Amino acid sequence: MITVALAKGRLAQESAALLKECGVDADVVFSDTRKLVLESEDGQYAFFLVKPSDVPTYVEYGIADIGIVGKDTLMEEDKDLYEMLDLKFEKCKLCVAGYPAMKKQLTNSHLRVATKYVNTARKLYASRGEDIEIIALHGSIELAPVTGLADVIFDIVQTGSTLKANGLVVLEEVYDISARLVANKVSLKTKADVLLPLIEKMRARV
Amino acid sequence: MKRKSYYRLPAGVQDLLPDECYNLNTIEEKLEKKFSLAGCSRVQSAALEFYDTYAEIKNKIPQKKMFKLTDGDGSLLVLRPDMTLAVARMAATADIALPSKLCYFSNVWDYAGAGSYTIREIYQAGVEFLGVSNAFSDAQAIAFAIECLQAIGLKDFIIDVGHAGFFKGILEECALDAEEVEKVRLLVNAKDAVGAQALLEKHGAPKKASDALAALPTLFGGVDVLSRAEKYAGTPASREALDRLKKVYDLLKQFGLEKYVSFDLGTVKDLSYYSGVVFTGLTRSIGSAILSGGRYDNLADDFGRHVPAVGFAMGLKRILIALERQGALRPAAPQADVVLFSEEGAEAKAYQAYLELTEAGRRVDLLAADTFSTEDLKNAGIVVLKATKKGVEKL
Repeated sequence: MITVALAKGRLAQESAALLKECGVDADVVFSDTRKLVLESEDGQYAFFLVKPSDVPTYVEYGIADIGIVGKDTLMEEDKDLYEMLDLKFEKCKLCVAGYPAMKKQLTNSHLRVATKYVNTARKLYASRGEDIEIIALHGSIELAPVTGLADVIFDIVQTGSTLKANGLVVLEEVYDISARLVANKVSLKTKADVLLPLIEKMRARV
Repeated sequence: MKRKSYYRLPAGVQDLLPDECYNLNTIEEKLEKKFSLAGCSRVQSAALEFYDTYAEIKNKIPQKKMFKLTDGDGSLLVLRPDMTLAVARMAATADIALPSKLCYFSNVWDYAGAGSYTIREIYQAGVEFLGVSNAFSDAQAIAFAIECLQAIGLKDFIIDVGHAGFFKGILEECALDAEEVEKVRLLVNAKDAVGAQALLEKHGAPKKASDALAALPTLFGGVDVLSRAEKYAGTPASREALDRLKKVYDLLKQFGLEKYVSFDLGTVKDLSYYSGVVFTGLTRSIGSAILSGGRYDNLADDFGRHVPAVGFAMGLKRILIALERQGALRPAAPQADVVLFSEEGAEAKAYQAYLELTEAGRRVDLLAADTFSTEDLKNAGIVVLKATKKGVEKL
């Protein structure tokens, strides 16, 4: 049996649709159930619907053989797994955004960056040799520069409408984000007979 | 009784209670026998070493991965972070006669926590074949890894084989600095072909090299990998790597072990000290490698002696987890098959009886009278004896 970790929500629906196109009996993902482990009718696959940030964890431990999750989550979680395919859906950009003209504060020489991607932001600025102060938030990140909590935000931008409505602009597009197929490093070898043909079918479709 | 918070253990370390220890002992005994029958001599290296031993060599252990302590004179010490390096140091500094096969059962410590099981104290059993450089010794090491896993009773495993020189060979003509090579290695290791290729293109690497790099993450599977890799072996180093792998596979086939072997040219291990064939033991029962090894011909050079060598280490905790999932672990055997109670005043007689029985190979639990219910013991199939002033009687 092949176990698949999917990120709850729209991403799971899109992922299941792609898996179906590739011959996987993934109908069960669309069913309205409270079950935590969703087994396919044919008994060949089991799906776990989990929080996006938990997908890499399930795959790293090998509890899930494969998973589908956004590149942003993969960078943030930084787990030891194989990134097999760029599935090219759920596209967006991970950006630095703020006011077009930033006011310099005399009392704080470090840029204050509000983000829910704490690890990714830390690594990004470290690679540039910049000292920053990270302000970890869990939602409505745009509120931080508006209220003066932070100078800039580091977050996903899809349409940019929230930014625009609040007078903010994208200062830098840093990473291109899209859904990725990931695989456990051992499962890819030990279940190669099923996984490799499946991955090839998916590669042909993206 | 109130348990204080400091009775707990720090993160990443565990006690082994009797049932687990019993099973660990069982596999240790099997491996010890296997090692000794193959002519390996056992060594033990000091757990405390100088920080510089691992930080000043060419293939450094990252600072963040080492547990550090300060010695009385202010020098920095570490808890041994790697056994292969420790054995290479011993082989070089103690002038061990070559060729030589060494084995060990030892802990290594990883401050950062290794892999997904975040264990920071890692118990390993391993072997190092020192002073050998031919393809036969590569095949022998892989065959021995298979034998060891079989001896332990592990089912359903494969040894995934690659070669450090194939990747290094491809990058040879790209003129990247060490930092960039490390970035490429991480991308290839994550099978992120797109990322690796983009990075090479940024640095103006030749098309041939970037094509080969893009193909690397797909070069895994059966022996056909070796023929699929042909067209990417453009440099003498990558050519040589491929020829060596073919030779090793041919030998393993002659040994009748080819069904245990798969190939992956895109596995480029963290430890940059590998110079030739590398291999990893995998089983469906656990999502992380259970065995890891390879050839490291230049490792001992830093310690002042050239010792070509190949070896591997097994992670015994992960192997226990895999065995448990395969239903192969047993609860600890009862401690004794005889319980000997001593009445007050008959202690000397009881002790004499205990010595005689253990001498005869019986496992004897010597206790003060009436510690356990005699009926319960007898029901568990244990012989119950009682020493009185008159003598020893069976109950």
